[in-house]
Amino acid sequence: MTVQAASLGAKSAWADWGRAGAIALRMALILGGILIAIQALIVVEARPQDLITGVHGMADIIRRSWPPDFSKFDDTIWPALQTVDVALFGTVVGVILAVPLAVLAAANVTANRVAYYIARGIIGFTRAVPDLVWALFFVTAVGLGPFPGGLALGVHSVGMLGRLFAETIEHMDMAPIHALELTGARRIQVFTHGIVPTVLPSLLGISLYRLDENIRSSLVLGFVGAGGIGFKLLTAMNLFQYREVSLLLIVVFVIVLSAERISAALRNRLA
Amino acid sequence: MLRVRSLSMRYPNGKLALSDFDLTVEAGELVVVLGGNGSGKTTLLRCITRTLRPISGEIWLGEANLAELEGDRLRRARMKLALISQHASLVRRSSVATNVATGSLGRHFNLWTALGGLPASELQAAQGYLDDVGLADLAGQRAGTLSGGQAQRVAIARALAQRPDVLLADEPVASLDPEAAQEIMRLLRRLAQSEKLAVLAVLHQVELAYTFADRVIGIRDGRMAFDTPRADLSREAVQRLYVGEAA
Repeated sequence: MTVQAASLGAKSAWADWGRAGAIALRMALILGGILIAIQALIVVEARPQDLITGVHGMADIIRRSWPPDFSKFDDTIWPALQTVDVALFGTVVGVILAVPLAVLAAANVTANRVAYYIARGIIGFTRAVPDLVWALFFVTAVGLGPFPGGLALGVHSVGMLGRLFAETIEHMDMAPIHALELTGARRIQVFTHGIVPTVLPSLLGISLYRLDENIRSSLVLGFVGAGGIGFKLLTAMNLFQYREVSLLLIVVFVIVLSAERISAALRNRLA
Repeated sequence: MLRVRSLSMRYPNGKLALSDFDLTVEAGELVVVLGGNGSGKTTLLRCITRTLRPISGEIWLGEANLAELEGDRLRRARMKLALISQHASLVRRSSVATNVATGSLGRHFNLWTALGGLPASELQAAQGYLDDVGLADLAGQRAGTLSGGQAQRVAIARALAQRPDVLLADEPVASLDPEAAQEIMRLLRRLAQSEKLAVLAVLHQVELAYTFADRVIGIRDGRMAFDTPRADLSREAVQRLYVGEAA
């Protein structure tokens, strides 16, 4: 009886220590989170008071932007088309290059380990370098215009798509693939009749999502000389043509929203 | 006909999974393998398909000894051997007829089939195989929409499209309800007789073995415990296979 009571008392003491430890750990985590947030505020030199005192400057720009200058709408059609086509070009190039790389970079179907590491390296490198840097790099090679923008998006998309494609292939159900292998089908037949139909809807969905992302990126690339509506927006801002800027922002809004809705609708159909 | 002689298999951890295993399955015969978990049933099938490499023994499929073949010669010889598993393993987004016709891919290697096409003749033949398994009206349906029993029958039709001499079935009814399980076993028995197939099925359901098998093989600790016609199968011999499993 006495031994049992002592044992229960020891267990209770351990439980108290455990609870105290858990509370201390939570407090430490909360304190750590607050410290991280404070250092971020210091590093970005956050000055909310400047934002408040300068709000009339922003209001002035908005006032000068109104109403949008719709007389220049015709001039926005070609740059808008360029922006969409740069994204389309980049996505198509990205998909074409990403598919074979993803097959090599998927651990469950890769030809061999050397090919796996080379493919993973290429995918990692193209993804790590931002599309803006790729654009500056290609501008030095082929000059200003939409072409370097398309190339930049294409190369960067290889990295983004390659990784997602490879993960999709790695997570696919391998049972149908093994079943096909046992029928005597060759590797290429197993790929086209087993792997492709299994992962194709996912790959198309990812590609459409990438196209949607690339349209946004294509706008930004225009600021570094890759043409399109981004370049026109930069020019209008530099010339203080704020009514044209507001028209261009409306066009950008329509393009981005349309791309997003169309991409989402197509992805839903594929699901 | 399938003949296995002195087949042994050892896992990388040193455990002997199969030891000097012999079995024969004649054309038109349905042989059921019974045994507890970890007794070596699935290992036996995986060695026969050469998914696992045995350490010794022979696996005769007609005139070819699968145990000594590699690469393309193994692939070609193995085409006479079809396997259905517990899960139907169909390409869910492809149609039922397409899934069935892919069973014939080993016989048709050309640019069209390499690019994802299927021979029109095989797609037409798929209708016949689906008719054999009672699913002719589902040919155009997506495989992912089928019930478990229907999917398993499509897997059998795909195996038939392979035109095998031997059909291996690894717990083909394990995930089916009792009625669907009976249907699949009835189908396997009928196909064994009508197509002159040698059928070797691993089962956990002893009653199905009593009902459908021509012969029953018992396996325990990787060794053959008995090989007997169904009529001579004793309940005691079957019970001995599972002794100690519950513990």
